[in-house]
Formats: sequence, structure tokens, C-alpha cells
Amino acid sequence: MQVQLRIRRYNPEKDKSAYWGEYTLNDANSNDSVLDLLHRVKWEIDGTLALRRSCAHGVCGSDAMRINGANGLACKTLVARLAEKGSSTVKIQIEPILGLKVLKDLIVDMDPFFEHYKSVQPFFINDTPAPENGRERLQSIEDRARFDDTTKCILCAACTTSCPTFWANGRYVGPAAIVQAHRFIFDSRDNGASERLQVVGDTFGVWRCRTVFNCTNACPREIEVTRAIAEVKAALVSGEL
Amino acid sequence: MTQLTGTTHRTVQIQSNFERKAFMYMRLSGAALLILAVGHMVVQHVLNSTANLTLMFVAEQWNSWGWKVYDMLLLAFAISHGVNGLRNVLEDYIHNRQVMKVINTFLAIFVVATILWAGYAIAVFDSAKVLN
Repeated sequence: MQVQLRIRRYNPEKDKSAYWGEYTLNDANSNDSVLDLLHRVKWEIDGTLALRRSCAHGVCGSDAMRINGANGLACKTLVARLAEKGSSTVKIQIEPILGLKVLKDLIVDMDPFFEHYKSVQPFFINDTPAPENGRERLQSIEDRARFDDTTKCILCAACTTSCPTFWANGRYVGPAAIVQAHRFIFDSRDNGASERLQVVGDTFGVWRCRTVFNCTNACPREIEVTRAIAEVKAALVSGEL
Repeated sequence: MTQLTGTTHRTVQIQSNFERKAFMYMRLSGAALLILAVGHMVVQHVLNSTANLTLMFVAEQWNSWGWKVYDMLLLAFAISHGVNGLRNVLEDYIHNRQVMKVINTFLAIFVVATILWAGYAIAVFDSAKVLN
């Protein structure tokens, strides 16, 4: 199978503006991932191609990128999924995720994303003494299920950088940070819900969400991001958790 | 081992702000518009033919204060709901607080002036002058 790759290239030390680099791989397999293809370009054709990746198994969240116009993880996106039925040639366009400054080729500056993440205090807050037996604070199955979906986030930024509001205004806290806030706000053992709700209830918090559903479509962990945002909005309106 | 069951219900104190109130208003006005705008469409375009939507038809309808109030509510909710939506979109793209302040002031004046002006026009409409 032949793959024609168009990759958005940009080296700030050399290029005045970004351009499309075109590469052809003649013996790709349909079960190759996009990350496999990028490795082949980097290792066999052009060693200057810059990209982030680590585990290559959809767990670390390093290789989120825009593949054929939609955000996804390069390691989880297979060529077979991008191929047209019956065609022996596949055209794949790869760009860095949008809304964050491009540092080089497919690498973006993740600092603003992690600043928003930190703003929601994504850690367990409970100042009451731990149980006397020194073991964990127990929770019912129903209480655990309340925030199960949002525990799956791997901070790849695919959701936040697929959000049109975030593209237009980087001050918006973004879907990923709201998902992280949701994970703790609805944890019955956590006592920091008020502080977190104040952050996500700010002018640049959940109210900027336009329920476009791009985030839900982009999430490689299939988290129902828009639903989580709606639940946080409902909590902000009612004060009920 | 202890097995906990059931769902824990907790309440938290929420510090309200303008955006929260605006969101709640959008929900409430949206629900009101669902009834008012759909009702308007049914009366004007389903129960009556558009060919009959003349000044006489309006005069007959506004002969009753019930319909006048209905249309005033439709006007007030539609203008405020729509302009608040426009404000939200503009807030996304205009990042200068001073410019946004000027635009918000203009939009607020536009909403109030339109509701008062059009509401006054509906209120003082004299159906008798058209019907007789």
C-alpha cells in the first residue's frame, strides 16, 4: 500500500513560515499506525522531522496531532482507518495541534495547556484525619462511578486543541482542565469542590463552552467530555454534587 | 470488610457572577422562546396561511391585550437571548477588555432601547383605527 504524507513543517531557526513537506512511502501496511509512518519518515527520509512520542501505545498522550483535519493520537490512528475502501493509495495530512504555539514541526508549546490544568488544583484535597486503621478512605461503588469516566484522561490535549473557543481565546480554561476538575469535584472523598468550582465558574471557565462536541469526538480515551462539562455547569447552577 | 453503598449527596456554596447569571438566563429564556416562538410559528404559518398575514390580521390579533403581551414577551426574550449570544461570540474573539466594555454597553443600550421602542409600538397600536 502506498501512503502519501503531507506533513506541516516549520523550523523557527530556518523557515520564515510553515510549509507542507511531502513524503511517499511505498510499502506501508494497513495496520501501521500514523506514528509508524512518521518514524519511517524521520528514520529513513528526513531526520530533521520533529515530533513528540513516548509509549506509542495510547497511554502517555505525547503524540496528539491533527490527522486529516481531526485531532487524535498518532500511535492509535491506523492507516486502515484513513484509507478509502478499495484504494491502494492513502493520502494523510498531519499538522500540529491547533491553538498552541508551534515550537518545531509537530511539537507545540504545552505550557499554557498545563497552566490551565494546574489552575483547577488537580489533586486530592481533604484535610480531615485519615481513617484510624491507616488504610484508604472508603467509597461506595456508586460514588466511584460518578467520576469514573473522567479518571481516564491522559492529558494529551486533543480535546482542548480541538475546541474552537480555545482556538479563538487561549484564556479559556479548556475541556481537559474541566475534565480534571470534574474528576475531583464529584469525588465524594474530596473537600476542594468549592475552590475548583470557583476556577471553572470564572468568566473564562465552563461558560465559554459552546457544546460543539469537538472535544468528545477528539478524545482518544472516549471520555464524554461535553457531558462532563455539562455536569460541572449543572453543579455551578444548583450547588448540588 | 466494610462495604459502603448508595450515592453521597453534597451541597457546596457557589459564588455567583455575571456569566453564571447570563447562562441561567439563556436557559430560562430559551425555554420560554421554545413555547413562544413555536406558538408564534404555529399560529402564523400553520393555523393561518402566510397569504393572509396582512395588516388586518395583525390588527385583529392585537385587538386583544393577551396577544399584545404575548408578542411583547416574544420580542423581549428573543432580543435579549440573541444579543447575549452575540456577546458570547464577540467575547471569544475580542480580547481587549476596554473595547469589549464599549461593545457590551452598546449592546445593552440596543437591547433596552429596542424592547422599549417596539414594546411601546405594540402597546399603543390602535386596532380600531385599522378595523373600522
